[in-house]
Amino acid sequence: MAAFFKNLLKNKVMLFMVLPGAIWFFFFSYLPLVGTIVAFKQYRFSRDGFWASIFNSKWVGWDNFKFLFSTNDAYTITRNTLLYNIAFIIIGLVLSVAMAVLLSELVGKTMAKIYQTGMFLPYFLSWVIVGYFAFSFLSMDRGMLNQILGWFGAEPVQWYSDPKYWPYILIFVSLWKSVGYNSVVYLASIMGIDKSLYEAAMIDGASKWQQIRNITIPMLSPIIIIMTLLAVGRIFYADFGLFYQVPRDSGTLYSVTNVIDTYVYRGLKTTGEIGMSTAAGLYQSVVGFVLVIVSNFVVRKIDKDSALF
Amino acid sequence: MAKVIRKKRDFHHVSPGWNVVLNIIAGLFAFICVFPFLFVVIISLTDEKTLATDGYRLLPAKWSLEAYRFVFQSGDTLLRSYGVTILVTVVGTIVSLILISLYAYAISRKSFRYRRFFSIFAILTMLFNGGMIPTYMVVSQLLGLKDSLWALILPLAMNAFYIMILRTFYSTSVPEAIIESGRIDGAGDFYIFLRIVLPLSLPGLATIGLFSTLGYWNDWFNALLYIDNPNLVPLQSMLMRIESSIQFIQQNSANTSLSMAALQSIPQDTSRMAMVVLATLPIIFAYPFFQRYFVQGLTVGAVKE
Amino acid sequence: MSKSKKSFSFALAMLTALTLVLSACGGGSNSAESDSASGGKDSEKPVNLIWYTIGTPQKDVDKVMAEVSKYTKEKINATVTMKMVDWGDYAQKMQVNVASGEPMDIVFTAAGGFDYVQNARKGAFMELDDLLEKYGQGIKKTIDPAFLEGSKVDGHNYGIPANKELPQQEVWRFNKKLLDKYNFDITKVKSLDSIEPLLKTIKEKEPGVTPFAMDKNYVPYVPYDYVIQNLPMAVKLDTTDYKIVDILETPEMKQALTTMHKYYQAGYIAPEAATTGSTSDLMTSGNWFMDRAQTQPLADNSWSASYGYPVVSSPASDPIITNTSVQGSIMAISANSEHPEKAMEFLNLLNTDPVLRNMVDSGIEGVHYKKVDDKHMENLPESKNYDMPSYSLGNNMLLYLNPNDPDDKWDQFKKFNASGKNSPILSFNFDSTKVATEMAAVQNVKEQFWASLMTGTVDPETYLPKAIAAFKQAGLDKVMAEAQKQLDEWRAANNK
Repeated sequence: MAAFFKNLLKNKVMLFMVLPGAIWFFFFSYLPLVGTIVAFKQYRFSRDGFWASIFNSKWVGWDNFKFLFSTNDAYTITRNTLLYNIAFIIIGLVLSVAMAVLLSELVGKTMAKIYQTGMFLPYFLSWVIVGYFAFSFLSMDRGMLNQILGWFGAEPVQWYSDPKYWPYILIFVSLWKSVGYNSVVYLASIMGIDKSLYEAAMIDGASKWQQIRNITIPMLSPIIIIMTLLAVGRIFYADFGLFYQVPRDSGTLYSVTNVIDTYVYRGLKTTGEIGMSTAAGLYQSVVGFVLVIVSNFVVRKIDKDSALF
Repeated sequence: MAKVIRKKRDFHHVSPGWNVVLNIIAGLFAFICVFPFLFVVIISLTDEKTLATDGYRLLPAKWSLEAYRFVFQSGDTLLRSYGVTILVTVVGTIVSLILISLYAYAISRKSFRYRRFFSIFAILTMLFNGGMIPTYMVVSQLLGLKDSLWALILPLAMNAFYIMILRTFYSTSVPEAIIESGRIDGAGDFYIFLRIVLPLSLPGLATIGLFSTLGYWNDWFNALLYIDNPNLVPLQSMLMRIESSIQFIQQNSANTSLSMAALQSIPQDTSRMAMVVLATLPIIFAYPFFQRYFVQGLTVGAVKE
Repeated sequence: MSKSKKSFSFALAMLTALTLVLSACGGGSNSAESDSASGGKDSEKPVNLIWYTIGTPQKDVDKVMAEVSKYTKEKINATVTMKMVDWGDYAQKMQVNVASGEPMDIVFTAAGGFDYVQNARKGAFMELDDLLEKYGQGIKKTIDPAFLEGSKVDGHNYGIPANKELPQQEVWRFNKKLLDKYNFDITKVKSLDSIEPLLKTIKEKEPGVTPFAMDKNYVPYVPYDYVIQNLPMAVKLDTTDYKIVDILETPEMKQALTTMHKYYQAGYIAPEAATTGSTSDLMTSGNWFMDRAQTQPLADNSWSASYGYPVVSSPASDPIITNTSVQGSIMAISANSEHPEKAMEFLNLLNTDPVLRNMVDSGIEGVHYKKVDDKHMENLPESKNYDMPSYSLGNNMLLYLNPNDPDDKWDQFKKFNASGKNSPILSFNFDSTKVATEMAAVQNVKEQFWASLMTGTVDPETYLPKAIAAFKQAGLDKVMAEAQKQLDEWRAANNK
């Protein structure tokens, strides 16, 4: 015991340094973790405050989960979350790498810089603003898309109440916001590739296309794999703003816009059944956890330094 | 000599025909990225009546500055939101840099006996989280931060991912030898951190700082959960509120000269878009600067090369 | 081994330290509580009552409440803090606030908004029987007994209803300027179909005007009374067998939705109605022709006064006394209130004292309004910084009259109240605790289909069957069976 305190004393400066952060983690990460036991309770408010409410609420075992999985909701939100994220990852990767390679091959570097600056813009905007942007195109009576349809004599489309268009709209908006940023990440590592490799290839008479396929892409592959696996680890988490702000919270679109995150939020807001919403959140955490562990394990196999732990 | 290099570079490039094609593709994509913003600017400059009859047009029949006049007339609402956002962003970024840089440094030091424990303590939070509702309850009930600016600042202040990035940065770009020599000179841990480590890690700090500035500036979710008081509404959240009713602006304006009759002639739709434009402008101006650091920082943090 | 043990003991030490910090925080609030409880009666510090109410937050609320507090401090030694939550957000925000135990004393609740019966059953409100007996004699004397009786849940009072119009009657409201311009005769207008020619003319002749204004909470009127507001279970008003039906399967609703969809396609309804949270922008600008609202005697006067341009109305339904109307505006005492007695004293004062009631309603005399004579008052320009909904703030019959109101306004109210017909299921309150999970699922389905169907945004031909199926899948049948069982028991017990 004495040794323990001696050690504490010896490390006091370092301990002092981690203390603020550790307190933050305690309050904002670990206490909420304790709060997830609400998922197994029928939460009822009690006068004696927060902890009392949690501990005095009736245990209901797996009932809240049963509710979640007894309706279609669990299936819909899991499917939406997974499929959208898979689409974002695959299409995003292809477009970003293609754009990065393309930018690296442009002759005029000034033009490349200007394009880059333009592409980067959406990444800096909030989803609220993107929601307004989308509205200016999709508004039923004023939006640009319906005006264009009008020129071709087509009937205006009720964008905000017809689910069939939204998978495409959401994928487009998501890519619009992220491809520019990601391509700059890839471009940065293309710039880091040793130029002598290309020179050697050119001396051997390799075409541009061969150079890209045999040098650029292989040299990029570690970072591609890492970025992708990081995204795979987050595949169970959806971008709340994209799915909440852009469709304007329109009920008819829920079948294609409801994801786990929006479902949990709406549970809190509309039904007030805190236990049930927390159950949905816990389901997300647990599956998400497994996915992170698996993807980190894979990263570790490929490149030990890039693993998170 | 110059000629030789020139020739080599030419060798590396695609043919002129392809170059044109590539330019068009890249240019088109860049244009698509920027176009919606330009479109919203145009809408905000359209005459309200024209808008009502013609819809959102690229070339409106009648232009008008009326929307901006109205927004500035009831400007204190906008200004207050700007104030909240700027305050939260500045304080938040500082708090978050302090917390993260200290934590990351401590767990990057091999001499720290509990580094393993605290590394895991941080990493675990990346793997498992309590989710939205328990977090909401802790923040609003236990910490009592509802309707306070801290509710906008604290939840975003830390992030295990940034800690890991910065830890890696410390261990790759601050040579152990420098720290050791500092120690031999009799400097304390804290002094070394402040005087030697921090200055050497400025690029890394800048990256984290920019990420966190952007996070604070664009955050609306925490305001959605925790802020009811109309005086504490940040910019993004205000844009959300005026989506359903522009009244929010005038209700919270100190300008009492807006009479009933004047209210009836508010250019509602164009004012909304004018607010969007005004809320976006600071980002537009700041972002070439951001971009430079991002590109630098990205190579530093994520790629570790 | 030893290493892990060490770090374990370290973790333990750290947790202990943090727990100490935590309990210190908790301790602080505890001691504050006991202080206020043990305070002597005379030297008692005034307690502060937190009051949540509905309506667009007004700029001068704090200013007015400071004035109100001065008055109440003298009368009952309490001060008041009012928190306003906007119309569209109220139900959701309060749901969260109550569930998470946000401190509050007085809460506005209603059948439609932040559901009174459901939340009383969930334990959100304090049972008031004893408090009402002890501190609420004034309330018992002034308020129409039909209100106090009709707001009982399982035989107990959980809130103080506002004394106002008793039946609910739907009306079509018209922007008089446009009505006069086209010389429309609104005396023949009653059903949803009968308004079509008017809408058609406006649509053709007045571009830029929304012919039929509505937000996402709009529901077409059908002669049914809902078991729970906004869920599709209802009983026909002229029922004899007391059968609960799925409102979406009734021919009346189908007909109404088809008409709504026709109107929507004809462009009479704003395209984004199903996602529109509020029509207040339209009301401010005056760019609307008609909408539907609930009326009370002389409502046209107060609407015109608050919008600043003339509004007239004509009936869209008969006056019916329903649970929704009886429980249309209730002030409850929150279950977590630390000062329930004071809160009751305050409610008693609010419902009996004209000075306090008018201050809460119209603001500060000489700033927001001025008295014209001893019964009438007039809004001053500043009143736009304190424009409150009267119905949600207690006894209406104490209010000063608008300049155009006749002296016998409140007598007209009493007559109107007497004219109402009782709904067959008046005072039957469904207890949904046994089917809580199904209720939550049904609620989710409602979020998905309700607004777009009701506003006519989607074609009922295809969407109505979808919605009906989705409700069934969510367990609506089970909820309805449970409701029917309770209704039958209630009927037997009440000899209906």
